[in-house]
Amino acid sequence: MLTWLILLPVASAFVVALVPRRRTEVHLPLGVALSVLPLALAAYVFYVFEPVAGYQFTESQTWYEPWGISWSLGIDGISLPMVLLTTLLVPIALGASTSITKRPKEFVVNTLLLEAGMIGVFLSLDLFLFFIFFEVILVPMYFIIGIWGSERRVYAAMKFFIYTAFGSALMLAGIIALAVTHADQFGNASFALSDLMGVELGPGAERWLFAAFAIAFAIKVPLFPLHTWLPDAHTEAPTAGSILLAGVLLKLGTYGLLRFNLSLFPGASVDAIWIMGALAVVGVIYGAVVAIVQPDLKKLVAYSSVSHLGFIVLGIFALTSGGLQGAVIQNVNHGLTTGALFLLVGMIYERRHTKQISELGGLRKVMPIYAGFFLFMIFASIGLPGLNGFVGEFLILIGSFASLPVLAVIAASGVILAAIYLLWAYERVFTGVPDREENRALSDLTLREVSLLAPMAALVLVLGLYPAVLLDKIAPSTESVLDHIEANTDYRVPEPGRLADVYVAGGQR
Amino acid sequence: MIPTPEISWIAILPEIVLAVGAALVLLVEVQWKPNAGTLGMVAAVTVVFAAAFSVLQWFQAADEVTFGDGTGLIVFSGLVLMDGFAVFGRFALLAVTGFGLLAGWQYLEGLGRRGAEAIAMLLLATTGFSIMVASNNLVMMFLGLEVGSIALYVLAGMSRERARSDEAAIKYFLLGSFASAIFVYGVALLFAGTGQLEILEIRRFLAQNVVLSPAVILIGLGLVIVGLGFKVSAAPFHSWAPDVYQGAPGGVVGYMAAMAKIAGFVAMFRILLTGLGSLELRWLPIAAGIAALSMLLGSTLALVQGDVRRMLAYSGVAHAGFIMTGVVGGSSTSVLFYLAVYALQLVGSFAVVAAVSGPANSESPIDSYRGLYRRSPVLAVSFAILLLGMAGLPVTSGFIAKFGVFADAWSNGFEWLVVVAVLASVIAFAFYLRIIVVMYMDESDVADVAVSSTIRLVLAAAVVSTIVWGVLPGSLLDLAADALPL
Repeated sequence: MLTWLILLPVASAFVVALVPRRRTEVHLPLGVALSVLPLALAAYVFYVFEPVAGYQFTESQTWYEPWGISWSLGIDGISLPMVLLTTLLVPIALGASTSITKRPKEFVVNTLLLEAGMIGVFLSLDLFLFFIFFEVILVPMYFIIGIWGSERRVYAAMKFFIYTAFGSALMLAGIIALAVTHADQFGNASFALSDLMGVELGPGAERWLFAAFAIAFAIKVPLFPLHTWLPDAHTEAPTAGSILLAGVLLKLGTYGLLRFNLSLFPGASVDAIWIMGALAVVGVIYGAVVAIVQPDLKKLVAYSSVSHLGFIVLGIFALTSGGLQGAVIQNVNHGLTTGALFLLVGMIYERRHTKQISELGGLRKVMPIYAGFFLFMIFASIGLPGLNGFVGEFLILIGSFASLPVLAVIAASGVILAAIYLLWAYERVFTGVPDREENRALSDLTLREVSLLAPMAALVLVLGLYPAVLLDKIAPSTESVLDHIEANTDYRVPEPGRLADVYVAGGQR
Repeated sequence: MIPTPEISWIAILPEIVLAVGAALVLLVEVQWKPNAGTLGMVAAVTVVFAAAFSVLQWFQAADEVTFGDGTGLIVFSGLVLMDGFAVFGRFALLAVTGFGLLAGWQYLEGLGRRGAEAIAMLLLATTGFSIMVASNNLVMMFLGLEVGSIALYVLAGMSRERARSDEAAIKYFLLGSFASAIFVYGVALLFAGTGQLEILEIRRFLAQNVVLSPAVILIGLGLVIVGLGFKVSAAPFHSWAPDVYQGAPGGVVGYMAAMAKIAGFVAMFRILLTGLGSLELRWLPIAAGIAALSMLLGSTLALVQGDVRRMLAYSGVAHAGFIMTGVVGGSSTSVLFYLAVYALQLVGSFAVVAAVSGPANSESPIDSYRGLYRRSPVLAVSFAILLLGMAGLPVTSGFIAKFGVFADAWSNGFEWLVVVAVLASVIAFAFYLRIIVVMYMDESDVADVAVSSTIRLVLAAAVVSTIVWGVLPGSLLDLAADALPL
């Protein structure tokens, strides 16, 4: 079944590719329709997913025996939300791309292939396979930025590619090192995650390998100071590219840190909590401060991503139940809210052909529905209680306070900064009277645009009011990550950092 | 009565076929003055027969006596080997020859009366290199190297009327003969040091004797590395490559480059690992140094080239470094896989270059690829896949090839070399992408590019193999794993 999750988008891409080039009116609607299939399948997987630790729906097929590589897939509470998010955002991103008139067929094909790669990354249980997906998604994304982006697209696409390729090159060396060590110790070649977790590494080697993987993922996140590709990529990318970039591609970094760094190198991860946590918090503050002064609405949202992703990394390296759960659910939340914000920025850009805050103003008068959605998403992004952002940030802050109290306190100020830059931006764009002629003539959202935003808004609300719908499925898996770390190191999660602590204290056990 | 030794003709049957084919092309041309198509058919039949005999050799070699790792036959009093390693290398050479003929067909056809000479030279070059990959005796190897190289010098200068082609030929000839001389001097010193000319005998000598002062052997070893390093255009012996790649007729450059790489590395692997394997502590650092320098220099210099052919030449230097990394890794499987994969991609890429800038032209500025996707989607898509394959993107055979040599080098203790290699591949990505950017992202009003059917065939083979071996690497890796040297 999981194989089909990957193959469906590939097959869809082929179907779209078969449509003649001149039938431009067919490509996009067909793409949207076909991309609903993986969403339905992912929803079914979510429905039948048991809330227990360990991988489910696993399948394994030997790929090339002598190298020990295999097509092995599985899904657990950490990857399940990511797969759902990916399959949800792709139809929305495609639906938002009606303004793309240049080679729409290639655009849809690229996006669908990108989807297959992203799902593959989240499902792979074999490091070789994982690396293949991780690397191969660069190509469609590179084309999406480079062909359908704005003026400086070629520069931004190249920068994006080189940065991330650099990171994955180091990771490739790390994967080779792990596999070779495994072959030395066990006598058989294997790239399976479960096998490589059993490799005995010296403390020195473990740190090097941790660094190799962490740099690759930190570039993707992007963690300060490796974030400089992000604003360029986001500003130049088309709306769909930005949605998928912020919604899913950045999560490859946090997902990788959580899945691979913590599991493969528990000792080095424990040693690195302060470094990684500090970098994350620097990112939180830095991203927020830079976002305040951005004159460009899209860049502002891009820098807010740097800030929000810092929270997630902090949650991961807090190494507590709250931190890990918060990180996973915040992955989803950020994908929804920031994805929606990029979508909204894209909508205004299509109408006004500018993203400059100073050229906009008083839009609430002329576009009330648009303003409503914008404000809603801003509140979700800030972390207003009752909306999804609150759940994630709250869990992360609680979780990190148990193990990294100083950093948690500093990071909490990031929430305030978020309120400043987002609300200030809202004030400048929406409040007051529309003084410019162009702004006065703007039309409000169409039915198509509302139907793209509505599901995201609904999920924001559902996850804010009843996060257990996801957290119940996430928690067993994050707990087993902590178990693995405690079993392999001297590290003990400080009280009351484990879920068990909380439950016992609450008398629920 | 003197017993006549049994001669295993099968061991050299492909070379005989090739040499006869080359002669036949010339004779047919003189006698009947047929049109180019007939000559092409003669050449094609020659290649097909030679390939068929190599397939026969493959199965026969597998049943033979085992020495060292592989199974095979030593024939002609130790001059020639028929082991899986040689047969795999020969088959790769023949595949490159076949596709080289197709890719260069427009050019060969356009040469008119001189076409026969070019085709004959092409077949002779294959004969020479084919002998080289199967040599056990170092003098035999030199002979093969010279037969192949001289034919290549001639091919480089085939477009006499163009100064660039002349320059390329002269440069290639002068530097190439110099390198051959260095190689043969190295062979002489190896002989002086060990008293043996046969690679297997050298191995036995070194295994059974303790060489107290190996200076002569080591100098010989160094000279052999320099000589072959030149042939495969590894840095710092690469300076001829860009000029020759640019000057030589576009139709046959891919063939020339791929042949020299395959034969050079197969020979190098045999001498270094089979013959001098026991001295590996002495030569591994040298080989690793050359590998690192080639990868870094090749990738970096390729970045700043404005001409696609020069870019491919420098990327060839980088690839020599990657293959050298495989030699350092010490596994014939990865080296053979890399050679086969890269050779096809190279021939395919130069077929694109020949289609875009004309088969005889030597200029191929990157600007002429502007908007190629609009002008010829077939060329652009194939070229993009081949470039990504050479860059080593996953799902292409290039990735599997790179992964193989990296993993071998790592397990052989050359971690630093692997780190250099992965960083160099990132630099390499940049210049491969640069071409793709120009093809896809820039618009152009220049006229459409016509693609001949022979070039389409080459591109189809190169693209399909790049993807199939990337997705199902076992289909070729299993064969390469069986192709062990004696």
